[in-house]
Amino acid sequence: MVSGKDGERAREEFLAEAQELIEGLSRGLLELDTGIKQGHRSPETVNDLFRGVHTLKGLSGMFGFERLGRMSHVLEDMLEDLRLGRVELTQQVLDVLFEGVDNFQRLLGDAAEQATVDVETFTQRVHGLARSKTKAHNILEDYDFEASMLGVLTEYEEHRLRTNLEQGMTVFRLRVRLALDVIDTALDQLKERVKSIAEIITYLPSMDGGGGDEIEIEMLLASKKSDADLRTALGKPDAKLSAVEKKRGAGRPPAAAAPHTPKDPAPPTAAAPPAPAAAPVEAAPKPAAAAPVAVPKRPVAEGDVSLRSITSVVRVDIRKLDHLMNVVGELGTVRAAVSRLVERLRAGAAPALASEAHRIHRAFQRHLAEVQEGVLDIRMVPLSQLFDKVAVVVRQVAREQGKEVKLSIVGAETEVDKLIAEELADPMMHIVRNAIDHGVEPPDVRTKNGKPSTGTLNVVAHQKGNHVVIELSDDGRGIDSNVIREAAVRKGVLSEQAASDLNREELLNVIFMPGFSTAREITDISGRGVGMDVVKTNITRLGGAVDIESELGRGTKVTITLPITLAIISALLFEVRDRLFAIPLAVVQEALRLPAQAVRTVDGREVITLRGTTLPLCRLGDLFNLGPLAPNASEHYVIVVSVGNKRLGVCVERLSGQQDIVIKGLGRSLAGIAGISGATDLGDQHLVLVLDAASIIEEVLLPRTGQLAVGAT
Amino acid sequence: MSQQASNAALAAKNAEAAEEAGVREFLAFVVSTETYALPLSCIREIMRVPSVTAVPRAPREVLGIISVRGQVTTLIDLRERLRVQAAPVSSRPRVLLVDQGDEIMGLLCDRVQQVHRLSEKEVEMASVLGADAASYVMGIGRPGQRKADAHGEATPEESGDDAEILILLDPIALLKRQVGHV
Repeated sequence: MVSGKDGERAREEFLAEAQELIEGLSRGLLELDTGIKQGHRSPETVNDLFRGVHTLKGLSGMFGFERLGRMSHVLEDMLEDLRLGRVELTQQVLDVLFEGVDNFQRLLGDAAEQATVDVETFTQRVHGLARSKTKAHNILEDYDFEASMLGVLTEYEEHRLRTNLEQGMTVFRLRVRLALDVIDTALDQLKERVKSIAEIITYLPSMDGGGGDEIEIEMLLASKKSDADLRTALGKPDAKLSAVEKKRGAGRPPAAAAPHTPKDPAPPTAAAPPAPAAAPVEAAPKPAAAAPVAVPKRPVAEGDVSLRSITSVVRVDIRKLDHLMNVVGELGTVRAAVSRLVERLRAGAAPALASEAHRIHRAFQRHLAEVQEGVLDIRMVPLSQLFDKVAVVVRQVAREQGKEVKLSIVGAETEVDKLIAEELADPMMHIVRNAIDHGVEPPDVRTKNGKPSTGTLNVVAHQKGNHVVIELSDDGRGIDSNVIREAAVRKGVLSEQAASDLNREELLNVIFMPGFSTAREITDISGRGVGMDVVKTNITRLGGAVDIESELGRGTKVTITLPITLAIISALLFEVRDRLFAIPLAVVQEALRLPAQAVRTVDGREVITLRGTTLPLCRLGDLFNLGPLAPNASEHYVIVVSVGNKRLGVCVERLSGQQDIVIKGLGRSLAGIAGISGATDLGDQHLVLVLDAASIIEEVLLPRTGQLAVGAT
Repeated sequence: MSQQASNAALAAKNAEAAEEAGVREFLAFVVSTETYALPLSCIREIMRVPSVTAVPRAPREVLGIISVRGQVTTLIDLRERLRVQAAPVSSRPRVLLVDQGDEIMGLLCDRVQQVHRLSEKEVEMASVLGADAASYVMGIGRPGQRKADAHGEATPEESGDDAEILILLDPIALLKRQVGHV
């Protein structure tokens, strides 16, 4: 391995590529899962999985990830068996495969390879899966195949051929002549056309050769379609197409699910000598005319694994984009300077040049806006990346719980900032897990209640202005607000009085209060609630909001609203002790004038009454030790800040408007200063600090949690 | 622009120094009444003092943050950091951008002096100061213990007991994060 920075970079590349492969694997497994449920097994998907694992094995070896390598090896063997029909694809097998991918994920998540993944146990699980016995009856012998053809089939191709025949498909032999000079593209086109209506079992240059500038290709296809349909689809009416007939039979293709003809004990006829004769034939298919040129590659079997990673997609470290974003910001200040220069020219320095300068400045401004948009656009990823993970969790939890859940996803193409997608993963998993765990009832209960036995989890995403809205709804049992009320009082989250004052909607939101939900509570609440306060905190940190609606017996809907990007947010600017600060608008409920006489002191804390509820106050200037108020200044305004279910009134001297800002983190030397999340350059090279509302609320309110419930809504 | 030009000059000198074994280059600057020096290799840039935003709750020596080409950069007040006595406000203060490894930080000094090329002979290790010396003091530089070469910018005075001394600083120790210093 390369040392130092190069090594580190290569390793990062590896991690990124492995991550992508694993995500692909998990998508493939979900496809298989859907397939099985619809009674259809896709050999192509198994092949894709096999290739993916194979590539992963190679990469792990190259970068010295020993355990990852062993895991891939085990899985590769297993997929090979699946491919060749040695193992049948069942839900049990799929469970093991899912577990394998999960193990990959965990091994990858920890570079030191110390994750508690027991490769040995997993290996034994894989080996424990029963291999289906070799078929006693070889269906191939019933059909009129040429030995020259059978002899060159790989084990996989033979397996596919057998499976297709057993499923009642008709096998066709297709011969086409293709011009040698365009053989690659012509063959690809042909394959594309065929794939839509038939499975290609194999293809070879024909024995008879082509002669001249052409080459004849012979294909074995399996399809349900008729001879005529195939011809139409191929668009080559003159193609030599013939169904492979049954020996001794009346010459009709087998009907679907036709019972197998009893094995013919007699030795095969001369037309079909048994397979062993194949060896000498192997060399034969090379047509004399085409010998030096394109003997077409076999696509499905092996060999082209590493070439698969060539796509038009470029992986980029998000930090590089952050850097670009900074540069764009700088260009913005340059633009402002140019603009001032233009004004000076116009004012008299050189009026003749002014209009030309003005024109150039306009063009610059336009392109700059485009660049900024472009950089933001690069950061965007489709939510499908996240939803794929959701699908895996849904399947896993449903199987663990013995529930039937159908996942329906709408709007997976909606895009969000990469960082948001990452941060959203955990909260989403929490919500989905809860929905299945505590929302969706077991099949028998559902049937008794007149619901379909399979529960439905709907995930709908769409863009709304500068926000993305994700709704997760289930048709489960819903949440009983009375149970919440009792639990909240019992746990001391709410006083009896406060609890009885809350309406249903307010009670539902109690779920998000810290201290309300614990794993133990869940069983008797029969609603949901594991770590919903964490969900809320995480989403709020992203500048988003989460809401819950529920109807008893009908289901629950959780709605997440998020800004599309973290790179640019709307902020409220205000002044405290003559210093300018910014606060994300997402956490600001309202800003109002502070009537000095309305301030009361309760237990040493200043509060005001706002529309019937108590709002604790915080004088930011004192909290931050910004020195005394100027003699004739006073804190005229209150900004009502809300994070989760906590509210705080921040007293400030002046409101200075609203602006879209780019938040930049403080350097490491200042990381972890409570109450400040970063700084922003307003365009005049002067930095303004951005408040971290969540940490301020926590700091001010946390030591006195007891009173918190009163102010919560 | 002139700033960048001088930075380019610094870099060029730096490269030259590497050719001469045993000679290291230091940038000398004044804080209050003392002259300090940092290895030239860790200095990224010398700039005029931009608009500074104070950061509440930051350690005492942190003057605030500044924007350096869009990057939020922490600015350290060397008077506080080196605990030197207050002196009249300088008329030519400068910010040294120092790369300390994982973060580039700004150091406010009162005046930038010059680049010194010091041979091993001209550097005394910090141990001469005894065990009490602050961890960031790397040693004492005594320019002029050898003849100035063709590149010397200032003519070093002949060595003597009252010759100028430089307090050589270790950038890593100097900028190590101060804990519990609020």
